[in-house]
Amino acid sequence: MVYEILEKREIAANNVLYKIHAPHIARKVQPGQFVVVRAFENGERIPLTPVMWDAEEGWITLVTFIRGRTTLRMNMELQEGDKILNIAGPLGNPAPMKKFGKILAIGMITGIVEVYPIAKAWQEIGNEVITLHIVPEPMIILKEDLEKAVSKHIVESFPLKEGMGMPEIFKELVTRGQAKVRELIEKEKPDLVFMVGPARGQKAIFDVVKEYGIPMEVDLHPIMVDGTGMCGACRVTVGGEVKFACVDGPSFNAYEVNWEELIARSEFYADLEKKALEDYLTKLQQGGAQ
Amino acid sequence: MAGPKLIKERVPTPEVPVEERIKSFVEVNLGYDFVSAVKEAERCLQCNPAPCIQGCPVHINIPGFIKALRENAESPEEAVKNALRIIWDDNTLPAITGRVCPQEEQCEAPCVMGKAGEPINIGKLERFVADYARKHGIEKELLKEFTSTENGVKGKVAVVGSGPAGLTCAGELAKMGYKVTIFEALHKPGGVLVYGIPEFRLPKEILDREIAKLKELGVEIKLDHIVGKTVTLEELLEEYDAVFIGTGAGTPKLLNIPGILLDRIYTANEFLTRINLMKAYKFPEYDEPISIGKKTIVIGAGNTAMDAARSALRMGSEVTIAYRRGREDMTARIEEIKHAEEEGVKFEFFLNPVEFIGDENGKVKAVKFEKMRPLEERDAKGKRKIVGTGEYITLEADTVIIAIGLEPNKIISEEATGLKTNPDGTLVVDENLMTSIPGVFAGGDAIRGEATVILAMGDGKKAAKAIDEYIQKKRLPA
Repeated sequence: MVYEILEKREIAANNVLYKIHAPHIARKVQPGQFVVVRAFENGERIPLTPVMWDAEEGWITLVTFIRGRTTLRMNMELQEGDKILNIAGPLGNPAPMKKFGKILAIGMITGIVEVYPIAKAWQEIGNEVITLHIVPEPMIILKEDLEKAVSKHIVESFPLKEGMGMPEIFKELVTRGQAKVRELIEKEKPDLVFMVGPARGQKAIFDVVKEYGIPMEVDLHPIMVDGTGMCGACRVTVGGEVKFACVDGPSFNAYEVNWEELIARSEFYADLEKKALEDYLTKLQQGGAQ
Repeated sequence: MAGPKLIKERVPTPEVPVEERIKSFVEVNLGYDFVSAVKEAERCLQCNPAPCIQGCPVHINIPGFIKALRENAESPEEAVKNALRIIWDDNTLPAITGRVCPQEEQCEAPCVMGKAGEPINIGKLERFVADYARKHGIEKELLKEFTSTENGVKGKVAVVGSGPAGLTCAGELAKMGYKVTIFEALHKPGGVLVYGIPEFRLPKEILDREIAKLKELGVEIKLDHIVGKTVTLEELLEEYDAVFIGTGAGTPKLLNIPGILLDRIYTANEFLTRINLMKAYKFPEYDEPISIGKKTIVIGAGNTAMDAARSALRMGSEVTIAYRRGREDMTARIEEIKHAEEEGVKFEFFLNPVEFIGDENGKVKAVKFEKMRPLEERDAKGKRKIVGTGEYITLEADTVIIAIGLEPNKIISEEATGLKTNPDGTLVVDENLMTSIPGVFAGGDAIRGEATVILAMGDGKKAAKAIDEYIQKKRLPA
């Protein structure tokens, strides 16, 4: 298989869109499913979500948030016309296509790319979908697309100030996100809340939703290796049972997730991830990256 | 040839010294050279009928290839070519089987020489033939003989999974003149051979070459294809005359005890996949990270446990294997246990884990075990039963690898609802290895649960024969 990059562009700060020829995925993927990508011969496998696709033309789009070595490397080393080595999928279970009524679908930062296909499909089958994007201003994406696709699209954003590091940005996302979600729940009275974002962010929003007792689904993103259920790296405790997010999920009931465990496990490789990134940056500086 | 004196001992094969090999993933056993291979071959009594053939799950004509080796002792090329031709008739992957088969339980177990001394070193001889043939270009010549498609293409067969069962089935069918397409979920073919078995037992270069050989026989491999997701079984049946499912048993069993989600607790599959498939031992040259502490406990005592233990050791950790039964109950190959011991892996017996204890950061710091004791009574598998003593012991560990077994992955059986499964998830097959769906065959760990490479290969071969018969019969006018 040849997975050619048909189009590549930076759609917002640190957000890169790749349109890729991958007919085997485009033919089969359903909202809620993901793919595993390996871009380089010495590369790792990373899970990403098809945002849009065309079964007839055989392409999918993926959006990466540049957060470490692999996503940065993809941005630095892959251009239009280049090929990606492997794209496996579609993986995971599709999102349930049911009439829930009024749905509040929340995406934090690049999490919104995963919300998009699901929210669009939910709206299409007769739900009233309100989407909320919690994001720093320079990273707003898919705004027009969502405005077209759902009943109401809200962007809760803030400017990035000089000297704002990840901890400060994250604090701002959580504070603003929690306030906005509280406001929307009281005003819109949704029947279901759905959220995609970093585990800590999901937990923070869940804490608010829980107060109102509204059903909440979350797409989880634990560390994955194969994505086909053969290693258990992505295991999570849900309802007291160990589940593999890649085959049993990615969607789970937020009330049943063991959040402390999930957060600890998602930060398991933080040191090595930092080392990998620094190693790559050093190579770039020395002009040694291939 | 046979001298007056019985040569009871095997001709030894050299090994990389312990101090050197524990620092890298280089292959431990260096194998025979031609002179020593012929010397070992000369110990064979050339029995007829030969019990060794019955011990081999794919029934290689062992005395035949051994005879070919020693008949042409003055022309190594000729000798190896003749020997390889005989092996290939029954087994297209000898460089692999010669390395990973538990010969002591198979071909070498019934060897008559074993009654008087040491059995013939059949595995290492098979490996020698395959390695020598490759190195000296003999394989290429022989491939031409096996790729004759004088009868044209006999049909199209889809093989699901590229592990030992699928590769063997594909190779056999290709030799018969079928157009075979393998569907593999991962980005590299080989199944457990590529993600499970480490380089120090099976160098990946050798695996790659064996697979390249299948491609030369006309087999096509589609990577990144998860049957049940990317393509359904039903779709395969529309396009192909038959399907073989060799999807293995790749889902790890977890211990249902407190602390299972603590950091640095790996399943052996994750640990070995990171190391073997993703080459995390070369991080950061390779992108895949792996985090291993100073003290590793491996739970289990099969081949997977030995592979994980010896890999962790090579990553610089102190390693202890903790097993709930006794030394004589271990299921790993004798050679691997010996290698692990030589390399400094420690063994603790009659310990059953009851809890993983974590530190304040959610990382594992110790494992609590209950001490067990054996009973006279034996279980269905013939192993001694064990009972808890009520006494406990806690061992420190900052890394834990769980290697207590695997079960079949459910992706394909969940999607193809017509496919009958047993309660343990294995596929139901008849005596011809056909599943509940006509035209769909299965073999290897997918029908047996976790078993061995060579049993999977035996199934692949048997299924290829059954598929050929099935397709031929279907073609006949009623």
